[in-house]
Amino acid sequence: MSPHSSIDSAPAGAKAFLELRQIHKRFGGVHALRGVSFSIEPGEAYHLLGENGCGKSTVIKVMSGALVPDEGEIILEGHSFRSLTSIQSLAAGIETVYQDLSLLPNLSVAENVALNEQLVHSGGSLARLFNTTRLRETAATALRAVGLPDDRAFLATIVSDLPLAQRQLVAIARAIATRAKMVIMDEPTTSLTRREVDNLIAVVARLRSEGVAVLFVTHKLDECYRIGGHAIVFRDGQCVAQGPIANYSKKQLAELMTGREIDAGRYRSAKPGAAELFHVRNFTRRPAFEEISFSVRTGEVLGITGLADSGRNELAMAIAGVSPAASGTLSLEGTDRRIRHPAQAIANGIGYVPEDRLAEGLFLDKSIFENEIALVVRKLCNALGIVDKEKGRALSAKISQDMRLNTRDLDLPVGALSGGNQQRVLIGRWLSILPKLLVLHGPTVGVDVGSKDTIYRVIQTLAEAGMGLVIVSDDLPELLQNCDRILVMNAGRIVAEFDALATNEDQLYQAMLASKTENAQ
Amino acid sequence: MSSVELETAPGTRGGFSLRELVRRRPEVITFLLLMAICVIVSVVNPAFLQPSSLIDIGRASVVMGLFALGVFIILAAGGIDVSFTAIAAFTMYSLTLLVSKHAPWIPMPAIILMAMAGGALLGTINGLLVHNLRVPSLIVTIGTQYLFRGFLLSFIGTVWIMSLPPQMGAFGRMPLLQFDSADGRTITLPMYFLVLPIAALLTWWILNRTLMGRAIFAVGGNASVAGRLGYNLRTVHIFLFAYAGALAGLAGIIHTCANRQSNPFDLVGTEINVIAAVVLGGARITGGTGTVLGTLLGVLLVVVVNSVLVMVGIPSTWQRVVVGSFILLAAAFFVTAQKKS
Repeated sequence: MSPHSSIDSAPAGAKAFLELRQIHKRFGGVHALRGVSFSIEPGEAYHLLGENGCGKSTVIKVMSGALVPDEGEIILEGHSFRSLTSIQSLAAGIETVYQDLSLLPNLSVAENVALNEQLVHSGGSLARLFNTTRLRETAATALRAVGLPDDRAFLATIVSDLPLAQRQLVAIARAIATRAKMVIMDEPTTSLTRREVDNLIAVVARLRSEGVAVLFVTHKLDECYRIGGHAIVFRDGQCVAQGPIANYSKKQLAELMTGREIDAGRYRSAKPGAAELFHVRNFTRRPAFEEISFSVRTGEVLGITGLADSGRNELAMAIAGVSPAASGTLSLEGTDRRIRHPAQAIANGIGYVPEDRLAEGLFLDKSIFENEIALVVRKLCNALGIVDKEKGRALSAKISQDMRLNTRDLDLPVGALSGGNQQRVLIGRWLSILPKLLVLHGPTVGVDVGSKDTIYRVIQTLAEAGMGLVIVSDDLPELLQNCDRILVMNAGRIVAEFDALATNEDQLYQAMLASKTENAQ
Repeated sequence: MSSVELETAPGTRGGFSLRELVRRRPEVITFLLLMAICVIVSVVNPAFLQPSSLIDIGRASVVMGLFALGVFIILAAGGIDVSFTAIAAFTMYSLTLLVSKHAPWIPMPAIILMAMAGGALLGTINGLLVHNLRVPSLIVTIGTQYLFRGFLLSFIGTVWIMSLPPQMGAFGRMPLLQFDSADGRTITLPMYFLVLPIAALLTWWILNRTLMGRAIFAVGGNASVAGRLGYNLRTVHIFLFAYAGALAGLAGIIHTCANRQSNPFDLVGTEINVIAAVVLGGARITGGTGTVLGTLLGVLLVVVVNSVLVMVGIPSTWQRVVVGSFILLAAAFFVTAQKKS
């Protein structure tokens, strides 16, 4: 198989909106982009695929004017540039929806959506009057286009008060408020549930029908196939393939991205043990979840899924003691445990890998070593209360090896690692307390294909060693590949249980939605 | 399009609640606190409500109010400034010296403009340093506070100027309102009081009606995001500090004219008082929030506390205890209100 189609002879027709030619970018000794060329045509969809660190974000920054390339040519609507400034790029209609959404949390929805239109209109000059009427009109039009309310109250809402899914749409509304010709979306669906993704895909279809080009950066191949269009595959700062995405299989794309063979099949092969490890009875904390009962056997991998508002997130945090249940009991190895605080969960051998690893889990400016021993620092102390660094390093080295971390330098700050490696450090930290039960909340959110593979293998190794694992996730293929059983939650209750071997994505999704309508009636 | 019912945001719909109001408009608490103090004080000592004490409060608010507007605009952009008192002392003293020794012919309006220009210049230095060094503005302005003050005392002078040039003295005495009180004293609201409402209106207008104003709040929300969206951070930083510097220069010259003397050792050391007033007015110390009205209310609150404690028989040494407790109280209130959201 050799779908390495034309790289240099990319269709450079006159109708291309934007074309990159032989772009190079170096950061110190790192050659982040090595002669990247591709072109973007109006109304077309593109999927920029590749592992973390392959140069995707660098190329986005070149297109949005945030970075100056070292070599190469940017051709924007027929004009040639060495580099672009942010205002040039915006004025030409290139809009970027960053993964962090780049919203200003202290400003209103209307300002977040439509202020930039006035800024671009003034050519970046700030010595201009600010037109509130036009702000509201522009914002309302853009909000309607993405299916958000456009009334005054919503326009005046402060963005930090909005739920995440709405913030995502607000960010997209901002992108189209300036009559965009090309919208770049950096992992737009990471934090969205399937329903919200459907809405997003509808928005994208409408943008395309209006002649707007859309460039996705994503790890979710299923969504790329649903949207269609062109694939642009990056590896090590080079464009290794481009062409219609339908021409490539998932397996081919994964291999192009990683440069090695990836097993897309089921990771789970072992059988769970017979003994019951963990049991939850009548767990309730209204309105998030109620009457939740389930059990996990030793060596079992249990999946829990549901829409974002189904209570799955709150349940995960209740098990870990982050925000405890109001009533109900929890037993581990046959005895009831009282867990009101994360420290109690740790003492009982229950580990919790949070969903938002940046905000809740990692100390980004601290080293790998310090992050990995964070939970056991007290045990590593000698009589004087001084941490035994040698012992800590030995432990950290072992954990890093178990987690197949791809660096040997344990003093590297965690913030310098890729998303996949960060996630491995976070999971690795929990191995230090030798947990009996490990709750993984969205273990591969924002993680690339290669790292996903490693994390899945680690999960299976842990289960084979007798640990009980609970994966709370909305990545259905992930659950199907890794779990023994999958529980579906909705409106705070468990509404279905599936054997992972005997079900499929559609069934799970149907259960998530069907139960929603039942509950609503 | 496929109608997706997205959950409504908390607080966008539903009934009115005090908590919600406080969260969105924290200056309501400042206002209520101010009212409560005024009511209590006037019950204990009705003399408080006499025009003379109200005018005293108004007069005492001008300099602090101008400083506070400067601090607020920088706080709105996520920075902090502690050099403004040094800027004020620098401009007021050097200008007084210049006018009395070398150029007594300069008319008062020109003196005021020169004070603002001098302040803006020193502020620009702050802005350039903050932008180019990429160091927190607190550190930069601690440094420049020492620098400006050290330069003033080493190279310009340390001698207290006790007699002002005539036009400056006249400006300090020029009445806006004048009447005789019941006990026969003449009470004057000076002309320079007008400067505060004018500066407040201008600041409000810049913040709410110009792109620069919105850019300031955008930078206060998240500077790197604002930069990515195309806001010119350099322009914003320089404008901010220059504007705050101009206000400080103005405050300095008014301070001198009002006190009819120019003391180079004056003002420095009162920064915390001003920052306290701004924070009491509902601006978050982390930046990106606050209103001009809240800032003025915060200033009034601090000035009232400072001037009325004596009237109800509390020793003036207790001022700090009271202001400190208010700050903690207000902070606790704002924080709980935010957590509930």
